[in-house]
Amino acid sequence: MNNQNIDFSMVLASAVHDMKNSLGMLLNSLDELRSEHEQTLGESARFNTLQYEAERMHNDLVQLLGIYRLGENNLSAHIEEHFVPDFLSEHLARHTPLLQGLGIECSVEAEQINGFFDEDLLTGVLNNTINNAIRYTKTRIRLTAGERDGYLVIGVEDDGKGYPESMQHTGTLSFKSLDFKSGSTSLGLFFASSVATLHSEGDRSGSIKLHNGGSFGGGVFEIWLP
Amino acid sequence: MTDSKADYNPFGKLTYLIIDDFENFRLSMRQMLRSCGADKIELVAHAGPAIQYCTYNHVDVVLCDFNLGEGKNGQHILEELRHKKLLKRSSLFLMVTAETSKEMVMGAREYQPDAYLTKPINRAVLEKRLSSLISQRNALMPINREIDRENYPEAISLCLQALPRQPRYKTWLMKTLGDLYFRLGDLAHALKVYDDVLAQRELSWAMLGRCKVLLANRSFDEAVTGLRDLIARHPDYMEAYDLLAEGLERQGRPTQAQQVLEQATEHSPNALLRQKQLAELAGANQDMDTASDAWRRTVELGTYSIHDKPEHYLALGQTLSDLSEGDMEEEGTARAREALAVLKRMEKRFADDEGIGIRSQIVQCRVYAGQGQDQKAARILESLRPELENAASLDAQTGLDYAKTLFRLGHETEAKKRLAQMAERFGDDPDTLQKIESLLDEPVGFRQKIKARTLNRDGIKAFESGNLGEAAEIFAKALEIVPDHAALNLNLVQVLMKEYDSNPGNTDLLRRCQTCLDRLAGLPEQHRQHRRYVALQRKLKGLTG
Repeated sequence: MNNQNIDFSMVLASAVHDMKNSLGMLLNSLDELRSEHEQTLGESARFNTLQYEAERMHNDLVQLLGIYRLGENNLSAHIEEHFVPDFLSEHLARHTPLLQGLGIECSVEAEQINGFFDEDLLTGVLNNTINNAIRYTKTRIRLTAGERDGYLVIGVEDDGKGYPESMQHTGTLSFKSLDFKSGSTSLGLFFASSVATLHSEGDRSGSIKLHNGGSFGGGVFEIWLP
Repeated sequence: MTDSKADYNPFGKLTYLIIDDFENFRLSMRQMLRSCGADKIELVAHAGPAIQYCTYNHVDVVLCDFNLGEGKNGQHILEELRHKKLLKRSSLFLMVTAETSKEMVMGAREYQPDAYLTKPINRAVLEKRLSSLISQRNALMPINREIDRENYPEAISLCLQALPRQPRYKTWLMKTLGDLYFRLGDLAHALKVYDDVLAQRELSWAMLGRCKVLLANRSFDEAVTGLRDLIARHPDYMEAYDLLAEGLERQGRPTQAQQVLEQATEHSPNALLRQKQLAELAGANQDMDTASDAWRRTVELGTYSIHDKPEHYLALGQTLSDLSEGDMEEEGTARAREALAVLKRMEKRFADDEGIGIRSQIVQCRVYAGQGQDQKAARILESLRPELENAASLDAQTGLDYAKTLFRLGHETEAKKRLAQMAERFGDDPDTLQKIESLLDEPVGFRQKIKARTLNRDGIKAFESGNLGEAAEIFAKALEIVPDHAALNLNLVQVLMKEYDSNPGNTDLLRRCQTCLDRLAGLPEQHRQHRRYVALQRKLKGLTG
């Protein structure tokens, strides 16, 4: 094999897959460590950073894989009906140890409704958004859900400084809008936007909205699903 | 309303089984469950003790790691527990997976777990997830109990009552309703359930359910179109492939059905039953290469599976025997060797099954004969004979396979005699009768079979375009390969008679007709070609008399 035709994106994807699973194991160990040494580790800033950053990398890798599959046209939404309050509190549960460690208050305020969406895809979006909120909030995070204009709107609110002017927008993001030069690539937002678009019903399709305000006056992320 | 855990602890009442090969994980899982309020928790490391435990104890919740190292995995355990009915419908089976294993688990053809838990798992996640599953279990318990008792009408009325009261479980209730109506054969109501769901939203499970009903209603075209559409939208929805293959087969398109199953096994290669179905279909399509690959996979996947059967090994041996027959090149001898090895493995693995040795030797005989080792084949046959003397005690499969071996070793008269006896014994079993007919028609290797079939098709084409001379020549050539083939003989008779119409002086044509009909003198009345045979015989009498 002299003339190797290396499909680099394939190589990357399988490496990412591997790393993601390693990080999964690492996060598992961190959770165990935290519960075994609750007294000494509970408030440790360094331990919190460790967990937060590992969580962040894990999310990034999940999204990378999602985007890879999107590029391969291999990602389709398996839409099922879910009871929204249960879905949100189950996902908040994953972040509970870290939130407690950081002393961040969190709550769910959802209408008692069923929604139609792909559980796995939404999990990816929510994990990333919650993680992002953990980074920028001061003291509080809130997950909201309700029906507006015939859409299911799931929101993540915090009481931080909010999104900078340049990031606030409505609708869908294209791949071109990713800026690899600035520190923040908005990869997470691109992923969220792609997931939203994969959810369509008739001629309506999903989208994301970023603005400031909400009940805490900080950043508000919303995903609108038909 | 109760608001404190002390008053009502949903975890405390239930019994748990944790299956994981890592001690640390078992212990930390138990720790988490205990802190949720669970009390009766059993820990095991592997499949053996897990199944043993479930045989003698009632378990409400199984938490099972998918990857258990060497030996059976979580899916094997799930299938075995549900298959042996060691786990009730109302019990929960949670599959714990690393993210990599998720794809491996998906696409199982039957027995899905109640939920997947993806590592990493912390206490809060476990508590949330499990408590919502437990409250769902409790809410749906009366319905599941009736389903376990197979009292479907009662289960249906309970579902209908629950629908307005339990909107949270609407999806489960509608899915179950559709399925229950279907099981009862009430297709109209089943269809209505799916249509109601689809009127609100195009959900894939409802589309699948709808197509399933259409298929049962014999609306094959509509079902096939619907399923193709569903697969285009969700290329990873395995059940849709299975159903589409079934639909195509019932439409009479076995080749396309095979292609669909090939696609499905490419996406999800680990479902034994799907591999088996592909193997059977490819075998029926005379695509022996695909069949042997799929049988090989089926045998491999059987290693730890409850679905493992000696028939899979036999089928692999038979297919390899067909492929290697008369092929003394490297590929042929390798296949023959593999066939013999597979049969040996079967004899060891199923040593307690009655008649396994005989079934194995019947195939071995053909393998040796196909490799030119006639003496060895003959020796095995002689040793088999006394045991197979009493034809009346043989099951259909063994009888057919034995006849095939007799043909291959040149004992045609004996083979025909046994098949005639079998046709009488299995007179009310159309499936077996058809197999007997096919074997009588084409008692040759599959390559020759394909050649004869191709010639038959070409002959029909020539006949249809009016080239009588050419058609007769082609049919005669096909009959050189399979001289006793009923339909082929009658095809030739028809062509010759038509030729005689325009050459009334040529009595040689009629003589040739007679030869063909004489070959079918022993055609039994229940043969599919019998009426045609009688009609043509009468016509010939009219022409000669």
